[in-house]
Amino acid sequence: MKKLKEFFRYDNVGLLFILPAFLYMLIFVGYPIISNIGLSFQDVSVRNLANGDRHFIGLANYVEIFSDEFFRKSLVNTLVFTVSCLIFQFLIGFALALFFNKRFKIAKPVRGLLMIPWMMPMTVTALMFKFMFSTDVGIINYILRCLHLIDNNIEWLTTPGTAMAAVVIANIWIGIPFNTILLSTGLTTIPQELYESASVDGANKWQKLFGITLPLLRPTIESILVLGFIYTFKVYDLVYVMTEGGPVNSTHLLSTYSYKLSFDMFQYSKGSAVANVLFVILLLVGMLYIKITMEGEKE
Amino acid sequence: MESEKRLSKRENIICSVVAIIVLILLLFPLFWTFVTSLKTEQEIFQIPPTWYPHVLNTKSYAAQIENGDFNMFVSFFNSFVISMGAMIIAVILAVPASYAIARYKFVGRKFMLLFFLVSQMLPVSVLLTPMFIMFKGMHVYNTWISAIFADATIGIPFSVLILKNYFASIPPALEEAAYIDGCTRLSAFFRILVPVAKPGVIVCAVFSFLYAWGDLAYGMTFILDQTKRPITAGIFNFMGQYGTKWSYLTAFAIVAIIPVVLIFIFMQKHIISGMTNGAVKG
Repeated sequence: MKKLKEFFRYDNVGLLFILPAFLYMLIFVGYPIISNIGLSFQDVSVRNLANGDRHFIGLANYVEIFSDEFFRKSLVNTLVFTVSCLIFQFLIGFALALFFNKRFKIAKPVRGLLMIPWMMPMTVTALMFKFMFSTDVGIINYILRCLHLIDNNIEWLTTPGTAMAAVVIANIWIGIPFNTILLSTGLTTIPQELYESASVDGANKWQKLFGITLPLLRPTIESILVLGFIYTFKVYDLVYVMTEGGPVNSTHLLSTYSYKLSFDMFQYSKGSAVANVLFVILLLVGMLYIKITMEGEKE
Repeated sequence: MESEKRLSKRENIICSVVAIIVLILLLFPLFWTFVTSLKTEQEIFQIPPTWYPHVLNTKSYAAQIENGDFNMFVSFFNSFVISMGAMIIAVILAVPASYAIARYKFVGRKFMLLFFLVSQMLPVSVLLTPMFIMFKGMHVYNTWISAIFADATIGIPFSVLILKNYFASIPPALEEAAYIDGCTRLSAFFRILVPVAKPGVIVCAVFSFLYAWGDLAYGMTFILDQTKRPITAGIFNFMGQYGTKWSYLTAFAIVAIIPVVLIFIFMQKHIISGMTNGAVKG
């Protein structure tokens, strides 16, 4: 008893404050992670989910998914989806951040309003874009026709290539506010004198952008891209609601394919294996994020 | 860039006009959804489309109060209960935890911090099946509780990582003064530190609520009974059954974003601070 009291006297008293949260996360996140790894080495399907009659089958699930062409397609799709979203949402976000950093009167309130897409439930965003991209009543086809860019309505969500474009566009819409606000904050940390002395030296706008703004924003840009990657790579609801992975699996991401395997086809173990592959890729990229965060921790 | 430079009157006007055009373009999907929810089904299919409802139709909202299967106000209420529950758990657990991380160098601190960071990056797919089996074992499958427990796991790591910065920025002298005045660690925490960190606590509460409100995967997987499902799952079901009944679907969508808009109007400052404090969406 005395020893225990001694243990908690100084810094370890922190344990009493953190343990409730830590234990909660251990039960509801830690245990599932381990359990999911276990599942992926077993042969759990709807037949033996309840009775516990499971067999250890080693890497068989992983061997199977890597020879599954839909899995490989989902992996490629996830990369294509993530990279195209990141490029566009970053570029648009950056342009908007530069623009809204000018001191005109309504800059702040308007920039605030732009945050709304980011806060919306993804299911609702998916519904809105599904409506706008629909073939006959969709406003996007109508606008394209008015601009004489197309003659006949495009079947956006039922044609493989355009379906991917549609989900990418919807996700960019969600990602722009995140990029804008974080880059805006980054821009305000750049000392004005740098721009002033550059002007004195006769630098033009582009020279200032590439010589001052971009180099000084590098830490911000790095963390935005890493975080953006993590959050885009695991997107699930948006695509599931807009296309359910279709047409002919052309928009399946690792997340939606894993869900389909587990909860539509009841092949829980294969679904778990796919989810673990997704998780491992996220962890590898996440190391960068952890490095950035933990470095800030030391200061 | 060059934000200190005062803009001339002309530049001010040009920038404002451009800003409004950007705003209209980016928020157009919301406007279009709202307008569509007030049109008749016939008008929705009209070409050229109408930019505002020529015949005001509020039936899409009214019809769903009566419709038993897809009563959107029932699923709105379910979502509200689930989100409040998840928010309460997240705040109660995360506030003391973040204080511990900010103030004490206890054993295992680094590991726990790392664990919170990793859990923030987890894809839902990793957790779904094990949670599904676990909730069945706990006999909370097909109840609000399962979704509450699962949704809180998004809010907790987010809140811990945000709030630790708030607690770290409170000068230790404040806490020491409280001890000299006879406070215990616990009473100093509740009476001095939590009130000072209140803005941060609000950010965490808002985000924990929003994450739970936006969740689809957990609510859809752990709750099968339509009368207990959250509004996102309701919308998804509804889309499956009434695929192109856009007047109903858009009305459903508008109801689902009411809390988001309210939170935005009343808490905009907190949201932006939450996003910029290393905030990320789960």
